Amino acid sequence: MRSETRDKDFANSSIYVIVPAFNEARALRDTVTPLVDAGYTVVVIDDGSSDHTLDALRGLPIAGLRHVVNLGQGAALQTGMEYAFRHGAEIVVHFDADGQHPADSIPALVEPILDDRADVVLGSRFLRSEDVGQIPALRRLLLRIGIVVSGIFTGLWLSDTHNGFRALSRKAMREIQLRENGFAHGTEILAEIRRKGLRYIEVPAAIRYSAYSRSKGQPFWNSFNIVIDLLMEKLFR
Amino acid sequence: MIPIQPILVVLLVSGVALYFRKWRSKLWDRIIVVGMFVLATTVVMQPELANQLAKLAGVGRGADLFFYVTIPSLAFTLLLLLSRIRELEQRSTILVRELALLRTNARRQD
Repeated sequence: MRSETRDKDFANSSIYVIVPAFNEARALRDTVTPLVDAGYTVVVIDDGSSDHTLDALRGLPIAGLRHVVNLGQGAALQTGMEYAFRHGAEIVVHFDADGQHPADSIPALVEPILDDRADVVLGSRFLRSEDVGQIPALRRLLLRIGIVVSGIFTGLWLSDTHNGFRALSRKAMREIQLRENGFAHGTEILAEIRRKGLRYIEVPAAIRYSAYSRSKGQPFWNSFNIVIDLLMEKLFR
Repeated sequence: MIPIQPILVVLLVSGVALYFRKWRSKLWDRIIVVGMFVLATTVVMQPELANQLAKLAGVGRGADLFFYVTIPSLAFTLLLLLSRIRELEQRSTILVRELALLRTNARRQD
């Protein structure tokens, strides 16, 4: 069915790019403009920001949703997916607001879904040596540890973890309901892929680490919070 | 450490985990908490009973037995509260999400 859709010249507007944003007014317009120019349907979720994040996008044809209080990135992504699903999206792409993902990587990310080879496509920074070299040393070490922790919790052993660049088919959107409001959603998605028997694939994904994206990235002690959240989810699910 | 101690700890932790994942209900939450309260009151009112129970358990003094029972009881109560907080968090997430979606639809209709 998907290949039929592709034969009919699959429109970029059926691809909904979900951008969760918390106090991202400074960089958001630069992140979103190339997505709009490429014809994607852009859904920005202002996760209770105090800097009028959505005002930075005034005049751009995007769907702007606002959480009245800050809930966390996982909750913002789920809100965006609900919106996309209700509006008939065929594919959603998760896209960080700090500009670390190049918009021109999206076609390669969604390709396996369009070819009906996968329900979920996960960007990986560890599949090409040039991408690995871009990752700061400490972050690389933490990610390696995170890959092991994610593997233990989910049973899914991948080359990368907590990479915010991923694509989900409509089927995956329906099957995956994120309950982890915070950053633990990265592991929760993997667990759901396994639990629901969804087809997945990893594709290389370049990351542009700027001073801004590093300042907005997760501090290393947040890894501890993620592990506690995952334990809580295991116990209270 | 005697061999039975780690076995009992594992059994205790597994029991609590199973309770929260499979068996938990509002009624049982209340029965357990009220049971703890009744036990604590009985032991305070009848210290000799505590001493006898302590001897049976091989702990020695009633005060020590009371101490050993208090720690897992408090841990259990803490888990109950954490679980309740998570439930409330999930409910408020649904509300905030629906509000965001409704407001966007309202804007689209304007």
